[in-house]
Amino acid sequence: MPRSTNARTSAALLAAAMLLAGGPLSRPVLAQERSHPDPLKLLEQADVSRNGWDAFEVMTVIRNYVDGELKDEGSFDTYIKGADRTLVKFMDVDVKGQYLLMLDDAMWIYMPNTRKPIRITPLQRLLGNASNGDVARTRWAGDYDATFKGEEEVDGVQCYILDLAARSEGATYNRVTLWVRKEDSRPRKAEIYLSSGKHYKTIFYDTFGVVHGRLLLTQMTIIDRLREGSKTVMTFTGYTPKEIPEKWFNKDYLEKLR
Amino acid sequence: MDEATAYHLNPVTPYNAGNAIVPQPLRGNIGTVDAALGFGVVSTSLAFTTVAADIQRPDYRFDVRELAVDLSLGESWDLLVGRKILKWGTGYAFNPTGVVEPQRSPSDPTDRLNQNEGRNLVSLTGFIGRSSLTAVYLNDAAYAHSTLTWGKNEIALRAYTFLAGLDLSLVAHYREGDRLELGTNTSYVIGQNLELHGELLGKRGSSMLYHAILRSDNPAQEFVSFPYAAVENDSREIFWKLLLGGQFTFDNGINVALEYYHNQEGLSLQEWKRWMNFVKFQDAVQRGAVAVDPAMATPSRLNLLWSLLTLSPRGTMRDYFFLRGAYAETDWSCEVIGFVNAADRSVALIPTLTWKATASVSVYARYTGYLGPDGSEFGSLFTTSALGLGIGVQL
Repeated sequence: MPRSTNARTSAALLAAAMLLAGGPLSRPVLAQERSHPDPLKLLEQADVSRNGWDAFEVMTVIRNYVDGELKDEGSFDTYIKGADRTLVKFMDVDVKGQYLLMLDDAMWIYMPNTRKPIRITPLQRLLGNASNGDVARTRWAGDYDATFKGEEEVDGVQCYILDLAARSEGATYNRVTLWVRKEDSRPRKAEIYLSSGKHYKTIFYDTFGVVHGRLLLTQMTIIDRLREGSKTVMTFTGYTPKEIPEKWFNKDYLEKLR
Repeated sequence: MDEATAYHLNPVTPYNAGNAIVPQPLRGNIGTVDAALGFGVVSTSLAFTTVAADIQRPDYRFDVRELAVDLSLGESWDLLVGRKILKWGTGYAFNPTGVVEPQRSPSDPTDRLNQNEGRNLVSLTGFIGRSSLTAVYLNDAAYAHSTLTWGKNEIALRAYTFLAGLDLSLVAHYREGDRLELGTNTSYVIGQNLELHGELLGKRGSSMLYHAILRSDNPAQEFVSFPYAAVENDSREIFWKLLLGGQFTFDNGINVALEYYHNQEGLSLQEWKRWMNFVKFQDAVQRGAVAVDPAMATPSRLNLLWSLLTLSPRGTMRDYFFLRGAYAETDWSCEVIGFVNAADRSVALIPTLTWKATASVSVYARYTGYLGPDGSEFGSLFTTSALGLGIGVQL
């Protein structure tokens, strides 16, 4: 397939700039300007909607439903710095004092009763259908290699389809099919596959909101394909740019956090 | 937190003839109220505990588990002074490099009843990017009956870094009058499911006290004085503690952990058999199954009590496997822990079922079963099983 690198780069930069500037959200940019968008650029643009600043705080609420009934709910305060550091503070009474730290591909959980951080894998579940990586991992581009697969309409929205293969060991999932909106590269839907090839989850990126002039993800829904009738809704609120001390992201500092 | 437990005594244990040597309760209850408080740089964990083998005469205890001042000395350095629980190991059940940790039981890695207590220490930690350097001074000083008794001075150093996905720590520890211990620990994740970890600690010689019977093939003996001595004190041998472990999370959420632990200071199978034969001889004397001079009865009882000092709640022999399987749903979870003595194949099995009644109330049932042939480590214990029912409320 012939490609125009300059046109692709320009379009990507334009789309990213629009998102960063909180510009018009529905203006078609990519689809008409090039026929074969760069999958990696699309991925980087999709990442922008979950990463507003170099360092910021966001509140995450996870609600787990079984057969439409709310079964469990959890709140998390998430601190993100750069592309490689995430700290998740558990806010509920039964998990008070618990923290999840992510550095590059690595994750640790700190539980106050064990008094030490324990190295864990990305697939270990946080709550309901949400894995640790669903909360702590907010960037696709560093974790996956992307291949352009075509175009498709999802719930009336024109999307590009990307096939993602885990590049790093810390990627939450082995293989992902991702639908991003043609108009602004925001993620619309993702289908998650296990290394066995089994369809594991479907994620819908439901709503976005303008926060401090930036268009950011405010809700996503995870449908567990292995557990009939199980659905998890993650809501993101209170995005705030913030200076976060570097030592907060040191594993040995977890026991000192309050 | 409150846990009521019913015990089934081991009718064939050689340690406790007729439940008369060290009388064991048939029922017990332990209730704890713990408060974790923080006021700026000061943090504390207070515990009020009642322990009752006899509900008519409960024993009450108040412990300051932790009380420490944690000062930030600029961007990179922190100073901690007080009583604090520090943990340095990467293992789940066993932590050879946890040289500054309080004594704890591998059968209860999460300390479900909050029984672990901090140690008196001064700790200085420097945070440099993804690395840290910690120096700790410890002293288990205790104040009781208007008297302050100083413990032995201890110093420990730890250098930690996270590099290329690998957690790596180097540990050094010296306790006054003892050996310098050097060690390392690490952990690493492969793919999305598998975590591996390891710990190694070594020292030249050992100050561990061993029973004199371990070097004798004649069990029919009575010792008239305390029979323990640090026989490896001048040894040039390196005494290793090694832990190799990993955990695997299946796609359906089931988590399985496996650890192998070797402790060179533990008893070999031959030493265990010598010790067990000696204990059985003392038991036979206590039961009247062996005809001895009546004047021997008291020394025999004393010898039996002395011999029990060999038993360690962290494993008396050298090689163990630890296995844990766990699965959690929204309102319930289950866990099965197994300890296997690799030398005599005896097993301690601990399944726990927990029901999360509300966000702050959980109820659990915990069974502990000891299985093993006659004379094995877990098959000879005071009890064969215990069933505990507990409730936890978190505010």
